[in-house]
Amino acid sequence: MTSGSELLRLLRSGALPDRYPLVRELVGDLSGDKLAHAGRLLSTLDPDEVLRAHPGTPTTHIAITGHGLVAPLVPTLTGELARHGLLLRSRLSDFDGYIADLADPDSGLYAAGPDLTVCLLDPAVITDDLPVPWNVADAEKALDERMTVVEGLAARFAATARGTLLLNTIPLPRRLTTQLLDHRSRARLGVAWREANARLLRLAERHPPVLVIDLDPLLAEGVPLTDERLDAYAGAHLSAELLAVYAREIGHVARQLAGQTRKVLVLDLDETLWGGILGDDGVEGIQVGEGGRGAAFAAFQRVVKQIGAQGVLLAAVSKNDPEPVRRAFAEHPGMVLREDDFVRISASWRPKHESIAALAGALNLGMDSMVFVDDSAYECGLVRRELPTVAVVQLGEEPAAHAGRLLRDGWFDTRELTGEDHTRLDKYRQELGRQDFLDSFTSIDDYLRELGVVVRLGPVTETEVPRVAQLSLRTNQFNLTTERLQPSDVHALRTDRDALPLAVHAADRFGDNGLVGALFLRRDGARVRIDNFLLSCRVFGRGIEQACLSAVLRRARDTGAAEVLGRYRPTAKNQKVARFYPRCGFAGPDEDGIFRHDLTDIVPPPGHVNLIETFGGPLS
Amino acid sequence: MNTIDDFIDLVGEQIGLPVTLADAERPLDQVPGWDSLHLISLLSIMERRTGRPVSLPTVLEAGTLGEIYRLASARDTA
Repeated sequence: MTSGSELLRLLRSGALPDRYPLVRELVGDLSGDKLAHAGRLLSTLDPDEVLRAHPGTPTTHIAITGHGLVAPLVPTLTGELARHGLLLRSRLSDFDGYIADLADPDSGLYAAGPDLTVCLLDPAVITDDLPVPWNVADAEKALDERMTVVEGLAARFAATARGTLLLNTIPLPRRLTTQLLDHRSRARLGVAWREANARLLRLAERHPPVLVIDLDPLLAEGVPLTDERLDAYAGAHLSAELLAVYAREIGHVARQLAGQTRKVLVLDLDETLWGGILGDDGVEGIQVGEGGRGAAFAAFQRVVKQIGAQGVLLAAVSKNDPEPVRRAFAEHPGMVLREDDFVRISASWRPKHESIAALAGALNLGMDSMVFVDDSAYECGLVRRELPTVAVVQLGEEPAAHAGRLLRDGWFDTRELTGEDHTRLDKYRQELGRQDFLDSFTSIDDYLRELGVVVRLGPVTETEVPRVAQLSLRTNQFNLTTERLQPSDVHALRTDRDALPLAVHAADRFGDNGLVGALFLRRDGARVRIDNFLLSCRVFGRGIEQACLSAVLRRARDTGAAEVLGRYRPTAKNQKVARFYPRCGFAGPDEDGIFRHDLTDIVPPPGHVNLIETFGGPLS
Repeated sequence: MNTIDDFIDLVGEQIGLPVTLADAERPLDQVPGWDSLHLISLLSIMERRTGRPVSLPTVLEAGTLGEIYRLASARDTA
């Protein structure tokens, strides 16, 4: 049975809300007409019904506004979000409602407080302002005036709203350029149009809550800009095909806002990173480097290296003997990637899902952090079946198409890179070094004493804001409430007189771990609340968390607090820390899930941790 | 898509609405779950099935599913 007919069967029998967790699997690999159909079916479902059946379903609230008819985006966006296990709760604006929605701080859109606001801009935003007849000077004026309006809306959004605003560049329709008969004017129109789009793209730099998606690369893949009839008669100025590929990009943004960014790229070797079969063809016989298929594999390796340079951990999982693999990376002259580029190379004959699981365990990351790439349908199928939360990218036989397949789904897209992203590989490698080290010690206490852990706890500085926000978005396991914070939220806490966001830095004999955690404190008279505590999964279990909490409790007592309150909000991922507060001497939880520490008996920080602490703000 | 029954099936399968033949002559605003957006999706699906263009402004004026079907298949019977 196809995915579409299975969805239809579930929808008709009324079982779809109950069986909703199946949906991700049914639609995960769909695209084109099949995904459009699935999206139409899913968009008839009331999100509240799904949430009644499965209250924990991750839900993204998206407001869609714009110049023309925005409703056609809903079914396709419903399908794209479902691919990532996200339920769409949409709020649609009236036709041409974007100015009212975004300019008025008391608008319904702002009151609704969506996670994401999509403001759909189309060529009619400009062409509707042109007189009849028009010349290129009129177009320049219309573009300039309209961009000034949009810039004002973006600034208002940044000053008013809590979520993210997504804008798109406005493609230049051929139907417009060809209305100008002389080439000189056409060229001038092209310049003015692109200057307007450059102004749009710059908004992302100026306002942290604003993201701008460039539609040109999507159109360049051969997607029509408009459907002339829907443009003329229905006010739908962008074609269904363009909305579909744009919705895929919006899905990636939603996935990232929900904290679902992938962190590890796990690659097969034979026919993925090089042509041929190493075990059969030998190091000299595999294809990579110059000429023919070898050049295509080398090009793919360059793309993989490019991704690895931006904070994604690279790993190889191959059914091969380890020695030839090591020699291939060390000795083959055409190889772009070398052993140093990988956090781990697993060459063995064990089933690949076992190797991936072992890798995840060694890195202390969840399966849902992994993207697995292989040309073998067998291996892809095995991993899909055994490790359903691993994202699987199945490559074809044509290596020239490998890069496109890998990049198509934006698995590693992130809002902005931080310094941590560029040094992540070293840190995880140190981590794997630590674990090998761990094996040779009989007791973890001895190990920790040898480790020489230094923890520095202090108020979040301006330059640390992006990293703290990133940590709050990426951390799933040691995250006591899983409240996601965007950079603007962290910034707001820094300037809030009652709040104190603290950054946790850690280092040990293997090197500097960098900014690995954060505590969000709030003073409420004689109470100090810990709104959230998060710590990178790379470093927990080393006493860092106990040391930080102990420091906060002592500081609270020394500045006159009577109690410290902490909260734990369970998710599928953070079970490990459910008993964290009680283990640190807190009582509770009470009926509201709050743990309390009365500050009479504070457990000192673990002896092996050298703690350097500074506070400030409401705890000074 | 040769009969009104085929068309009603198509609406059910493609849009996911629980429509029956009894809905064919009901005003569209009384068809459970109907939205004018569905017409836009249906139009391109019907055109692909029949291989013939349908006049969008005329179909946008249609008051019932039956009328939409007759407009989309008009040239079949002409």
